[in-house]
Amino acid sequence: MIPSDHFVRFYNEVFKFLDKQGDGALENYYLEISRHQELHCLELFKTKGLQGMYDYWEHIRIEENCDLTLNLQPDCLVLTMNKCPSLTKAMDNDAGLCLKYCDHCPGWVVPLLKNAGYDCQYDIIDRQLPRCRMKITRVISWT
Amino acid sequence: MRYRETGELHLDFHGATNTTISYIAKNFGEKALHEILFAVGQKVYKSIHEKLKQGDASELIEHWQYFFTREKGVFKIKETPDAIVLEVAECPAVRQLLKLGLTPSPIFCTQTILVNEALCEGTPFEFKTEVTGYGKCRQTIAKRGIK
Repeated sequence: MIPSDHFVRFYNEVFKFLDKQGDGALENYYLEISRHQELHCLELFKTKGLQGMYDYWEHIRIEENCDLTLNLQPDCLVLTMNKCPSLTKAMDNDAGLCLKYCDHCPGWVVPLLKNAGYDCQYDIIDRQLPRCRMKITRVISWT
Repeated sequence: MRYRETGELHLDFHGATNTTISYIAKNFGEKALHEILFAVGQKVYKSIHEKLKQGDASELIEHWQYFFTREKGVFKIKETPDAIVLEVAECPAVRQLLKLGLTPSPIFCTQTILVNEALCEGTPFEFKTEVTGYGKCRQTIAKRGIK
């Protein structure tokens, strides 16, 4: 068993392998993870909207030991990651960091939110600093 | 021990491991899984691997004890003069997949088998990883040549 604590270091090795394959291999894998994450999130996001997203990431904040600020407004949810435990672990790692490590997060989050009817602006800030920010808003239909 | 996480656990990561193992095997084949899991065994767990090369299994035993306890697995570690045996009666990873309503991939335990093989490669030890039932296994590490 790879302990759940060490999943991100396994994930980091998966990214290195897929990045070497080229031809969109990494991006296709993010979509597979996005489909997997629908199990945890999609119904919640569709039915409870921004509040459901707040609830999901609040649960993640606790379980993954994140230093994360969640700001829920009537028209948006802003997540400010002050210290990402995932990148922190991937960096505290004898195997070394995959420099595309951070890309997996928007890679699965953005398509899932789109399926739920939401837009997401994602700012990675710096791939070697465990900080990022995302703002989620409802897609406005003009029809 | 090189890694000793504390705090809360996010056990749902076992679900992502299940999805990933199936995805890599289906799209890139067994050699790809081998490459990735050998990197985990020998690069991520460099410290355990280096100690095994020197004939020292102490960090591996500490790793088992710490993380199976942390995830509330049902297990025993038995040390004899010839071998060390980890007997897992309830694997926390398989338990979590079932809790999530996921079907464990038929190759889910490949993560254990290949990481163990990687840990022992180039060391005086050999590993035998036997899946003994659903969520159960026996992992035996012994000096090469000792039966």
